[in-house]
Amino acid sequence: MSCDFECLSCDAANYKLMEKARNEKIETVWDRAEAMQPQCGFGEMGLCCTNCAMGPCRIVKVSEDGPKKGICGADEDTIASRNLARSIAAGSSAHSDHGRDIAHALYHAAKNPESGYKVKNHKKLISLAKEWGIDTENQDIKDIAANVAKTALEEFGKPFGNLRFIQRAPEDRKKIWNKMNVTPRAIDRDIVEVLHSTHIGCDADYRNIMTTAIRAALSDGWGGSMIGTELSDILFGVPEPHEIEANLGVLKEDEVNLVIHGHEPTLSEAILIAVNDPELIELAKKQGAEGINLVGMCCTGNEIAMRHGIPMAGNFFQQELAIVTGAVDAMVVDVQCIMPALSQVAKCYHTKLITTSPKAKIPGAIHMQFNEEEAIESAKRIVKEAVMNFKNRQGNIFIPQEKSKGFVGYSNEAIINALDKVTNSTAHPSGTVKPLADAIKSGVLRGAVAIVGCNNHKVLHDKGHVELAKELIKNDVLVVTTGCGAYACIKAGLMSKEARGLCGKGLATVCELVNIPPVLHMGSCVDISRILLLLSELAKFMNVDIKDLPVAGAAPEWMSEKALSIGTYVVASGVYTMLGVAPQVTGSDNLTRFLTNDVKDIYGGYFDIESDPKEAAKKIISCIEEKRKILSI
Amino acid sequence: MTLFDIIFTGSEQALEACKSVLEQTIKEYGENEKVSFPNTAYSLPTIYAATGQKINTLADLKGAIGVIESLIVKEQNLEKALNAGLATAVAAEVIEACKYVGGKNPYEEPCVGFIPDTVIRSLGVPLVTGDIPGVAVVIGEAPTAEDAAKVIKDYQSKGILVTLVGKIIDQAIESKVKMGLEFRVVPLGYDVTSVTHIVSFAIRAALIFGNIKPGDLPELLKYTKERVPAFVNALGPLSELVVSAGAGAIALGFPVITDQDVQEVPMNLIVQKDYDKLVQTSLEARGIKIKITEIPIPVGFAPAFEGERVRKDE
Repeated sequence: MSCDFECLSCDAANYKLMEKARNEKIETVWDRAEAMQPQCGFGEMGLCCTNCAMGPCRIVKVSEDGPKKGICGADEDTIASRNLARSIAAGSSAHSDHGRDIAHALYHAAKNPESGYKVKNHKKLISLAKEWGIDTENQDIKDIAANVAKTALEEFGKPFGNLRFIQRAPEDRKKIWNKMNVTPRAIDRDIVEVLHSTHIGCDADYRNIMTTAIRAALSDGWGGSMIGTELSDILFGVPEPHEIEANLGVLKEDEVNLVIHGHEPTLSEAILIAVNDPELIELAKKQGAEGINLVGMCCTGNEIAMRHGIPMAGNFFQQELAIVTGAVDAMVVDVQCIMPALSQVAKCYHTKLITTSPKAKIPGAIHMQFNEEEAIESAKRIVKEAVMNFKNRQGNIFIPQEKSKGFVGYSNEAIINALDKVTNSTAHPSGTVKPLADAIKSGVLRGAVAIVGCNNHKVLHDKGHVELAKELIKNDVLVVTTGCGAYACIKAGLMSKEARGLCGKGLATVCELVNIPPVLHMGSCVDISRILLLLSELAKFMNVDIKDLPVAGAAPEWMSEKALSIGTYVVASGVYTMLGVAPQVTGSDNLTRFLTNDVKDIYGGYFDIESDPKEAAKKIISCIEEKRKILSI
Repeated sequence: MTLFDIIFTGSEQALEACKSVLEQTIKEYGENEKVSFPNTAYSLPTIYAATGQKINTLADLKGAIGVIESLIVKEQNLEKALNAGLATAVAAEVIEACKYVGGKNPYEEPCVGFIPDTVIRSLGVPLVTGDIPGVAVVIGEAPTAEDAAKVIKDYQSKGILVTLVGKIIDQAIESKVKMGLEFRVVPLGYDVTSVTHIVSFAIRAALIFGNIKPGDLPELLKYTKERVPAFVNALGPLSELVVSAGAGAIALGFPVITDQDVQEVPMNLIVQKDYDKLVQTSLEARGIKIKITEIPIPVGFAPAFEGERVRKDE
């Protein structure tokens, strides 16, 4: 490695494990990123097309004499926008398939007592049933749940009409979508249409390609992701605030360490029940362990942290390092953002990498299929595998002591509950976003920013998230976060009450009154739908559109196609969105201008790119202040 | 105009007024003329508590202008807005101090103006024991004298010390509210700036009972917020100056409840247009809980009536 660890990550727990990995000749994501340099310029600019067998084609921009068109005649705008659209469709499909699984799980919970799932939040179920026009009077709760699940599943492929959740958006927003013909219809259909129109010899108009892609992205945010979040809350409970621990220091030397990694709470919730099974705990003790220590990683970790206070072990770039501790007895994974490299790392230790989804197998891993129809039984088999592996630990075990505490669990319901505490019972209504609107309108809070997204070697690990969050809270901007950004923030102490000391007077006052940290953990990546709903509520309450609100989105270290889909639906929902890493579109000046400029006039939101967190904060704050001026607040 | 801009405007007005009053006073008495409030060991209490500086002469008072100016920084954030509110409080104290220059007694019955140390010391014990559960600062004018009386009497019956500023004093007189320290209804003065006398009351409470060191502004603000259960009712049309003075109250930790349309700030600036709920809203906003046993008797019953004298014609 050419430079010190400090230039690769800003998490001290990582330095020690990176050192251990280097000594033990374990290759990590940073090594592979270095080996990849320099990365291909054609791909980086989005100018390489492999959509047919006449290709691969590439557009040469750096010299006059290179090809300016693909073999079919597609130019740089067509190729770059097709590539982007396909990425957005992939991201949307990942979230949406996740949502579909949750809907299936809800259906099994209702229809099949063997599954082990039970509907936890009846209130939210009934309210959603009513929203969808499902009969709730004198109905058995299981029938209501089954009907809600079925209705949700129909959203993926219904032949006519538009997505139901679109109705939740402010009127002005719906008008814009209708006018632009991007109102999502059925989730799978909108994704398929991107794949169709980006086939060779189909759509060649970059603006039209983006229209199709935006529709597919909206069918994620206001469809698949929203279904995933809403039904997860119904099935597993609505998150409430509580304190938890985070970072790799949550692994325990004397207990069976089971790291659950991936995305879908259907698996992690079942595993959670299984690790508390007295027989399995007894079995763990027989193997010489003190107990079973379940910890989470990435978004499935966020899900069980939000709902059950399970420690958050680490984010995307820490998945290999967790195994490098030598103390992970099993890493159980389902889908999305699971590095295939894990199986190689696991081989060097006693760790069992267990894949569970038929949608995501990894060569070298043990595959133990998880079935939603008999969730708890499947989960017990998996946990037993982890427990029986404890005695195989060997050699050099090292768990870094770094861990920090913070408050998580800020669902919209929890936020409104907290806001109710600052209303005056004789002067104000309860159960509304009024206190938030008042804090923003009065100027006590300047605005709110969602920091979301992944880790990426192109940005110093976690620094993009943490530095940006610190700059914003210092300037009285409330930060909400999800995904791997949430890990970065909690590890840096930004979800603790002490973090109020880093805030401007306005935000510090709000935090004290409402009793919240300045950075609110709102969940996993599908839970960004919570943020869309919060913005909708706020916009409706203030009688404006989402695009008028003094808010912004940021993905300082994004890397996945899901992040592209998220960014796109956020922009199309009217929000200015700052990216810390440039998307692979820069080969097309027209497409780049469309994303960073033209869309502003259409949707109100637009993309901006800035990798320096301090500069990014400046731009975000000036955008927020500009919106305040327009609103005269 | 943003709420913060209204505050900044009010603070600048206070600063201008303060400069011109001071200039006039210096012209009349000369720079070496003594400045003091009657019967206090704390000089000009707001300035003393905030800066640790005692003001002795009009020349010293000119120095206070710099303090006010430094507190007005027109940046759009809460910290600067609250500082501007404090600037207004300091400006008000300078203006009020000028009224007392030359040994004059500018206030006459029923207004009391500056409240001497002895009164604060005597009220200290009932404030600590909760016998006086709160201090209401009612400023401005209610829609009718009946509304004013209803609100004042409601506070009075709960043992709350009520101070009055502005036309509400006349409304109280009109509806025959009994006034005076013994009734815990204290008219301060008709000018907005006379509100400084209750501010300096709270500040001296912090110096006397909280043992706060003069000049330690953060500790002072913490003490007033946590220990002095005061709140403001701003009634009737609000000028920029009043809003700015309200920001000063909020800086001290005192919520402002108004019957006017303003941009609310959760827990700090609350609109309540229903006079029947004004008292309840105010008490809740300041976190004042009153445990009372209602005795069904046909007259008011509260410690506020303890010092009452029944005159012949009553």
